[in-house]
Amino acid sequence: MSDSVPMNAKLRQAMLLAPALIFLAVFFVMPLFDNSMRSFMSEDGGFTLSRYTSFLTDRFYLGVIVETVVLAAAVTVISVVIAYPVAYVLVRKAGRLSGVFIFLLIAPLLTSIIMRTFGWQVLFARRGLVNQWLVTDLGILDVPLRWLNTPGLAIAALVHVLVPFAVLSIASVLQGVDRRLEEGALMLGASKLRTFFEVTLPLTMDGIGTGAILVFMIANGSFVTLVLLGGGFQTLPLLIYQQFNTTRDFALASTMSTILLAIALVCLWLQLRLVRRQGA
Amino acid sequence: MNMKRRTFLGTGAVATGLLGLNGLPLHAQDRTLNVTAYGGVWEQAVRDCFVAPFEAKTGATATVSLGGPPQWLAQVEANPEKPPLDVLIMSPDLAVIAAEGGLMDDFTVDKIPNLANIPQEFTDACLGKGTYLNYGVGGITYNKQVVAEPPKSFAAFVDRVASGEFVASVPSISYAVTPVFFIWALNDALGGTPDNVDPFFEAMAKMKDNLVFWAGPNDFFNHLASGEADLGIYFDGRTWNHVDEGVDWIDFVNPEEGGAMTAVAIQKPKNASDLAWEYLNEALAPENQSKFAEILNYGVTNSEVVYSDKLASRVTPLSKANLPPYADIARLRNEWVDRWNREIGM
Repeated sequence: MSDSVPMNAKLRQAMLLAPALIFLAVFFVMPLFDNSMRSFMSEDGGFTLSRYTSFLTDRFYLGVIVETVVLAAAVTVISVVIAYPVAYVLVRKAGRLSGVFIFLLIAPLLTSIIMRTFGWQVLFARRGLVNQWLVTDLGILDVPLRWLNTPGLAIAALVHVLVPFAVLSIASVLQGVDRRLEEGALMLGASKLRTFFEVTLPLTMDGIGTGAILVFMIANGSFVTLVLLGGGFQTLPLLIYQQFNTTRDFALASTMSTILLAIALVCLWLQLRLVRRQGA
Repeated sequence: MNMKRRTFLGTGAVATGLLGLNGLPLHAQDRTLNVTAYGGVWEQAVRDCFVAPFEAKTGATATVSLGGPPQWLAQVEANPEKPPLDVLIMSPDLAVIAAEGGLMDDFTVDKIPNLANIPQEFTDACLGKGTYLNYGVGGITYNKQVVAEPPKSFAAFVDRVASGEFVASVPSISYAVTPVFFIWALNDALGGTPDNVDPFFEAMAKMKDNLVFWAGPNDFFNHLASGEADLGIYFDGRTWNHVDEGVDWIDFVNPEEGGAMTAVAIQKPKNASDLAWEYLNEALAPENQSKFAEILNYGVTNSEVVYSDKLASRVTPLSKANLPPYADIARLRNEWVDRWNREIGM
């Protein structure tokens, strides 16, 4: 009788988990598996690695992989660097205004990403608002600048979308930092800067890591911003879309998406290792 | 007693669920036709011009699935024995692929009497397994406030964009019909052939510093409206739709070499409902096509259709449009796309 109680508890737990697990298995794992399998299937239905070997030995496609990872990494670093001070002010300085700060932070996420991206087009077009100020109103420039379809603007637009994710991740960890540890360091003669770098920052590595992983994963698969703002980037998500929409080469699209998934998993593993090594 | 009630409720829930599932349009039903349409004004035009007369004549119902040809063809390929769609709207190159794959039924006048008034070349272009419903022409759309003298030909377009006189918005390679109405059309105008697209890529290299790329039609309009581009490669019908919406600064030129006729094909998957023949006959009927043309500002294919004066001045005559070799394009498209990726980028 005494054994049946934990068994019942386990059964209840399993039953509570079951709907979510079944949903994930049916609508995520199985399609993902099916998609990956297509990339290993030859024309006659046999097993083949030929798509992977030709993809990974082609300098053009290798360049696309590198560009995808470098772009995601650049967006991640910039987002985290911008997000940390914002999170710091939000947690330590905003006081009663923190609610307003959080609302302002999240407000852009309430708008469709397509509308926000079109907004960038309107602002930075050749005869858009920014160039109008610079050329007509302020007279700083003689001719308008070409902002659109430059890497800088595409990265800025991605950072704009993703910074809130990093801020919220860092802020939640910063909130839990024991202030007495920082006060102790200050009382023992450490400067504010040293206290920050040797006490506060290491204690918030977990938040930085979580924010970085979130931003990296989303940037790695970002599509709409790059399609509309260009930036000259050739990334795997853009090529995958092209295989479905233009060439209908589903097997190549499956190969690319499996490689993109592998890259994401490897980067996730590396980032987790890095964060843990930092002592978080 | 308690268990019995639970059993009863559980059984009832399962039964209700199964009944509910039975009502889902998992495949075409006998008296219900599942037809396709692009979104926006296209959908409304399909409902008003084809679905309504079909339902009135047959007493059957037609549901409209929104999306695009690659998705619809993939749905039919996934279940050819019981296709979930009865009538497909297709791009001409995909229509050829679908026909070659043995997925579509033959079009004959016996089954579709109104097919008799559709030029035979349009049915031949679909290998006899479909025909063209309507068509637009890809040409030069420009902002009249910025471009006083637009280029009259593709060759002039290339020269003037390359010289920096204009910034042009051209379709990106991610847009499904770019290989047809941009790569083939420009290449053909510049003296190339389907097997030699060097002229196109040389022209793109000359223009590259003054190009922006649009990912979808709305994107093109934003480029012109925001001043990012002065002109670009776009469709006649969509240009006139903007004019009808009150945009008075936009205009269209069909290049002297002739723009590419960008047709919309219509097909019936094998094993789809036979009611589809009735629907296809309505879609090709002159009175319905005439109404369809008025809404969309695109030319239609039934030779009996007489356009209104407004539309007659807008629709590019078939004689001034070039019919792309869709079968060749379907064969070479992936090669062109790969070259574009390597030489031009996204």
